[in-house]
Amino acid sequence: MIQAGLHEPQFALHVEDLTVAYRHAPVLWDIDLDVPPGVMCAVVGPNGAGKSTLLKAALGLVPPVAGHVRVFGLPYAKARQRVGYVPQRSTVDWDFPATALDVVLMGLYGRLGWFRRPGRAERAQAMAALEAVAMADFAARPISDLSGGQQQRVFIARALVQEAELYILDEPMAGVDAVTEAAIVALLKGLRDAGRTVIVVHHDLQTVQKYFDWLVMLNVRVIAQGPVSEVYTPENLRRAFGGRVALVGGQG
Amino acid sequence: MTGGLDHTLGVVALGAAVLGASGGMLGSFAVLRRQSLLGDVLAHAALPGLCLGWLVAGRSVVPLMVGALLAGGLAALSVLAVGRFTRLKPDAALGIVLSVFFAGGVVLLSYVQAVGGAGAAGLSAFLFGQAAAMLTGDLQAMAVVGGLAALLVAAFWKEIAAVCFDPPYARALGLPVGLIEALLTLLMAMAIVVGLQMVGVVLMTAMLIAPAVAARMWVTRLWPMVALAAAFGVVSGVSGAVLSTGARGLATGPLVVLVATALAALSLLLAPGRGVVWRLLRDRRLAGQIEGLRVLETLRALAEAHGDADYPAEAGMIAAAHGLPVARQLQRLQSEGLVAPVTHPPEQTPHWVLTPEGRARLDGLGGTR
Repeated sequence: MIQAGLHEPQFALHVEDLTVAYRHAPVLWDIDLDVPPGVMCAVVGPNGAGKSTLLKAALGLVPPVAGHVRVFGLPYAKARQRVGYVPQRSTVDWDFPATALDVVLMGLYGRLGWFRRPGRAERAQAMAALEAVAMADFAARPISDLSGGQQQRVFIARALVQEAELYILDEPMAGVDAVTEAAIVALLKGLRDAGRTVIVVHHDLQTVQKYFDWLVMLNVRVIAQGPVSEVYTPENLRRAFGGRVALVGGQG
Repeated sequence: MTGGLDHTLGVVALGAAVLGASGGMLGSFAVLRRQSLLGDVLAHAALPGLCLGWLVAGRSVVPLMVGALLAGGLAALSVLAVGRFTRLKPDAALGIVLSVFFAGGVVLLSYVQAVGGAGAAGLSAFLFGQAAAMLTGDLQAMAVVGGLAALLVAAFWKEIAAVCFDPPYARALGLPVGLIEALLTLLMAMAIVVGLQMVGVVLMTAMLIAPAVAARMWVTRLWPMVALAAAFGVVSGVSGAVLSTGARGLATGPLVVLVATALAALSLLLAPGRGVVWRLLRDRRLAGQIEGLRVLETLRALAEAHGDADYPAEAGMIAAAHGLPVARQLQRLQSEGLVAPVTHPPEQTPHWVLTPEGRARLDGLGGTR
């Protein structure tokens, strides 16, 4: 099954026939998915739709029962330098003894290689990433002292410092205030405008049209995928969410 | 004091220092990964390994250590297997594995003592530790294992840090998370092996937990925590050794554990920022400040009721309107310049007004009742 060359390199993320199961219950079923480069893509779906699992499968963190994933045409293990990941904030213990800068530096650990410590250059890069999320003043703060929104921005800075081409974020807007959300969206749009690809698990249907230009609707299977203007329809929402949501939003 | 006694104290104190340093350093990672209980399992599981090592090679430190390490590794794998193949919760898996290995160890111990003659009596010292029986060769072996563990930590520092904080992210970065987790388990087993002779299998986990918990209270970054935990471990070890020599006949290992846990208790109580006492004081200070603001509110309400911003309110009236005694709060507020005492002839009783600073403080709250 391992192909020597590139497979579907025209897509930032290419998922084919992907099935993932926990304890024999399929969480993702026969997913076929293509995200072109340079878009800002939302992944939406009800609870238990497999949104986080899809991201983890793309990052090689959960083994698929069937199917494959390619990032820029390569298996994830060969493309990981080009991918920045922002996990859900609640997955780590924020009482861990580290400063904001320490956490951002971890984004460089994969690139540094064995036995090499982050030095002056790495610290400068990490500071620049903190600057980008307006957290430079908090570099020396223990992460346990940060608010939820500040912690989220530190997590994003840790991915930014990787200088990736594809950013994968799991619910980055969960539990942050409106100001922080606006700042995060502006930052992600900036990445998209610079030609990077951004894939976000998103929970707020009302802002999908405002924030994103590409949309994947998921409910164990892929319900619909494509440009937001084509995919964000009452029919698709009903199919993904089971008729419990009315079409919302519609701002221009 | 004889030269022999000095030698013993020297060996014991040095051994206790090595034990404390490696326990504190390696226990930090166990505590941060919420794996303190795994340390307890590895320590108890060492007992059957020690017995088998004894059966193979008698009282010889290297086979004993190897036996303890192997048994610890087997126990760690058992915990993983029970967790993966059954639906037991982790605490139950840990408890079962600990009990099985320890029971097996005690059975083996009785067997070894039955067949092994007088020499095998020394083996039971590993239950609670017996520092006095330590030889120079034992100390050397402890130092080698502890030093090796420190080297491994230094070499893989950033990988260990990333795995302790956020394993999925570390895996996405391409770090070999499974390997580092195995290394951390091995390191924990090494710390335990270092301490077995001194502290014994039953109490060893305290030397992993207590210095790390104490250190976490004082610092906010990983390497200072690890360094301070090692230092706390050394202090506990040496003071325990000295105490047991001073008060003849008291068991060294348990004394070391008591000193370490006392340090942890003091840290939990007193550490600035995180300690219980510090937080109680902060809460009291905050409560006092809020109470003061409420007195200011009462003063302003009285002034508004009289249509006069500089209305001098009599102390008794403030207390009545506020519903609580206010004399101490008024003095405190006066010292902060938020209220001022005035006279209001012909009355002789003390009266108070809000100062402009006091009004500004209330306005700063956005309180515009």
